[in-house]
Amino acid sequence: MCTDRSLAWPRPLAALMVTLIAALLAAPAGARAGERWPDGPRQWTHEAGTLTLSAPPTRIVALNWAATEALLLLGITPVGVADRDGYGTWVQAPGLPDAGVANVGSRSAPSLEAIAELKPDLIVTSAELAPAASQLAALAPTYVISLYTPGADPFERATRQLRTLADMTGRRARAERVLAELNATLDQERARLADAGLAGIPVALVNFLDTRHVRIYARNGLYQTVLDRLGLVNAWQAPGNFWGFSVTGLDALAATPDARLAVIAPTPPGLADSLAESPFWTYLPSVQKHRVYPVEATWPFGGVYPIQRLARALTDGLLAGGDDGVE
Amino acid sequence: MVSSNPTAAPEVRNLKRTVRNSPLRATALFWLAAVAAITLPWAGDAGPLNLLRAFWTFDPADYTSVLAHFSWAPRVTMAILVGAGLGLAGAVTQQILGNPLASPSTLGVAAGCQLGLTLATLYAPGLLAISADLPAVAGGLLAIGLVVALTGRLGFSPVSVILAGLVVTFSLGAVNMAFLLIRGEWLGNLFIWGAGSLVQNQWQGVADLWPRLLLLGGLMIALMRPLRLLQLGDTSARALGARVAGVRALALVLVVVLTATVVSRVGVIAFVGLAAPVLARLFGGRTLGQRLFWSPLLGGGLLLLADGLAQLATDLGPGSLVPAGTTMALIGGPVILLALHSLRNTRQLPGQPASPGGLSVRRRPTHWVVGGLALLLLGTVILAMALGPGLAGWHWTGPTDWPEAWHWRGPRLLAAALAGALLGLAGTLIQRMTGNPMASPEMLGISGGAALAMVIVVLLGVDIGRTTHLLVATAGAAGALTLLLTLARRHRFAGNQLLLGGLALYVFMDAGLRLVMTAGGVAASRLLSWMYGATWLVTATEALALLGLALAAAVALLAVLRPLALLPLGETTATALGLPVARARLGLLLLAALLTAAATVVVGPLSFVGLIAPHLARVLGQQTVGRQLLTAALAGAVLMALADYLSRTLMFPTQLPAGLLAALLGGGYFLWGLTRHGRA
Repeated sequence: MCTDRSLAWPRPLAALMVTLIAALLAAPAGARAGERWPDGPRQWTHEAGTLTLSAPPTRIVALNWAATEALLLLGITPVGVADRDGYGTWVQAPGLPDAGVANVGSRSAPSLEAIAELKPDLIVTSAELAPAASQLAALAPTYVISLYTPGADPFERATRQLRTLADMTGRRARAERVLAELNATLDQERARLADAGLAGIPVALVNFLDTRHVRIYARNGLYQTVLDRLGLVNAWQAPGNFWGFSVTGLDALAATPDARLAVIAPTPPGLADSLAESPFWTYLPSVQKHRVYPVEATWPFGGVYPIQRLARALTDGLLAGGDDGVE
Repeated sequence: MVSSNPTAAPEVRNLKRTVRNSPLRATALFWLAAVAAITLPWAGDAGPLNLLRAFWTFDPADYTSVLAHFSWAPRVTMAILVGAGLGLAGAVTQQILGNPLASPSTLGVAAGCQLGLTLATLYAPGLLAISADLPAVAGGLLAIGLVVALTGRLGFSPVSVILAGLVVTFSLGAVNMAFLLIRGEWLGNLFIWGAGSLVQNQWQGVADLWPRLLLLGGLMIALMRPLRLLQLGDTSARALGARVAGVRALALVLVVVLTATVVSRVGVIAFVGLAAPVLARLFGGRTLGQRLFWSPLLGGGLLLLADGLAQLATDLGPGSLVPAGTTMALIGGPVILLALHSLRNTRQLPGQPASPGGLSVRRRPTHWVVGGLALLLLGTVILAMALGPGLAGWHWTGPTDWPEAWHWRGPRLLAAALAGALLGLAGTLIQRMTGNPMASPEMLGISGGAALAMVIVVLLGVDIGRTTHLLVATAGAAGALTLLLTLARRHRFAGNQLLLGGLALYVFMDAGLRLVMTAGGVAASRLLSWMYGATWLVTATEALALLGLALAAAVALLAVLRPLALLPLGETTATALGLPVARARLGLLLLAALLTAAATVVVGPLSFVGLIAPHLARVLGQQTVGRQLLTAALAGAVLMALADYLSRTLMFPTQLPAGLLAALLGGGYFLWGLTRHGRA
């Protein structure tokens, strides 16, 4: 039960492979630059108003990772991305090409000058950057969509984002293919779980923040879609914050004795040893029943793709059998 | 200074006497409330006897009992230990520094610990697995090492230690915040640590902590006699044979090690170290011995109560953890307000020199200093407009292209420089008015009010546009000002009471900020980057509005030069010289508040320039009112303009908040100036 760093932290090699494959896929679907729509400019309404485009955008800047992911899924390489290097570590797939994508700064404060230099014809952002809305709108038409807003279902919003971007860029068929593949994966994994007799079991999806605190994903988060579609029950019934999770002390896990604990990577260093020394953890009902499952890292605030990845990883983990500690 | 309220009603005086005679009763009350709060959630599950048994044993077959023994009992013990330790450290700190606003966290210790943990998390995670203490204590020692090295030559005079501590806090805090903002995903644990949570899942933490606390506490109490001599003032203490500098240094090191030991385990829990000694004094701890006895008891009770309430709030709330740091702040705010009503003459605490001297610097010709600063400002503006990085690397922009470049570089530069100047002026006004070198515009609570409004917006989960953003911040600042004026009227707008009132407002903001920090994520990053000066959001209209306001302020300042020069002479002298003291103070307060509010709304509340610019002016040898104002304004402008330039270019395209860089630049320069020019 030692800390395996290759598991605990994202794997560069795997990310590189995914990147290469994505780059190959993206290459033939190059955008048709400058080609105007035959029936004149088109309009879309979005959170912050309407946006008008006279031709399919070809130079797109994505100011968050969910938007980046949606573009890559459609086979579009954005010209600029916020926090480009972090994407490779935290979102990983679909991979971002190594060359030809500029970094435009952090997700909370992108550099307007850098965006301007890219001369984009579309900026995709969320309401999180609302204070900069007028400055962004001065640069290029801005499509504002927030996956996490009170009362909204993040998966429904992510699907809408994917379809709208596909509509703007003339790739609707591709978006439907992506969604069909996602649905097929979810159905297939659900069947695997049902065959193993695991339908309807309670699962707690947790990230360890340190040895005393966890983040538990709640009903209003993106991951709820995974649990619902796999026929699993979320063991954490508290409402969660606006971003679909609760940060709690480890003691909160005691409230759900029947739950299987899916521990999503990365875990903090030294966690395994620290927990093994804590009788509070070793006597935890889920741990006593060997119901702790490691799950590889996914991005909880992403678009549709993390759902597909988590569904696979979670099913694989649950079927591989549990343990009495974290890795 | 005359007693603040000579006409207090007899029943109020009686009440005060009753309260004063019973520190025991007050302490017992805190503890009773605390015990009620921590046992309430268990009322249904375990009897009082079972809960008591949880402190030494458990039943493996019954998970409730396991939970009580390994989670609840160590948490309760931890709260008491941490509260008592910080309470004692606070009492000692206030004694050695002779300032009621001083607490262990003002010495830079917590900021140092946090930086140590951040660096370890990012670059040596293996180290954390071995011992989380190591990097934290190392960081804490680095912080206090800086403070000691800088102030040693000044004989650890209280003013210089406080200033150096504050500057080190801000500078190290700035470095740390930069890491949190740039690599926040890696640092989820640091967000929680910064919020202060006492959650435990084994006895290890307690077992590590109590022997260390016992040893350090014992050493502190052994220092009591020499510490008591400090009360008489440096000269008398020296005459009685106390080695003043040595005693102070030793006590400081003890405070640091104790604070670092505590903080590395549970995170930043502020206000215990501030509130416990203040309460001990308030409830009748007149001698140092009494205060050293009651402060830890009160601290332990306070933090236990705070943690009990935090636990209740967590259980009743929507499932997310409410950290003890939040509830402690909510209790600490009222405590400080209470102190505000009762500590009559905080200005002349024993051991505090009457004038904020300590740093007497050789005077220099004003025209040279002002001319130099103006040139520096001009140079910064040219540099900012002409030389900058693009996606293809650094390039030079000729003056013909400036109209185009102005769009991205101009408004933020102008707003930053103006905000710096306004804060420099406001800071000078406030430090002159209160005679407290720790005073800064932030401490008036104006920025705290603006920040509180923004924190509430974030907690509500609303995403707002720039205009609403400005309106919300303005409303917060205005609300804070109204509250402040109401409070201040009772004290004839005098000195430290104002600062304490502002501090209490800041505390409420801090409580909310800790809740946001616990959740972490982009919301926390966005809030923090606004608080530390998101100049990139400034539009041209806003910058021009700020320019108009700055010009109006300059005119208004000409009218207040005389009152500013007279006020520090004391109320009696100033009145004798024909100054309507209360009205003059009100006018100055309003002016300072307006300047602060305007700057805060545009560049965020935690700029630090307001604290440092007046000191820069003094380090540059400008002592009289008019010269200090002018120099502080220019120094603030240069500092913020340069900070804005660097914030845009240093890590292009990643932007750092300008306030962070101002803290680093200004802090660095000030510390250098302190060692170079300062004299005991």
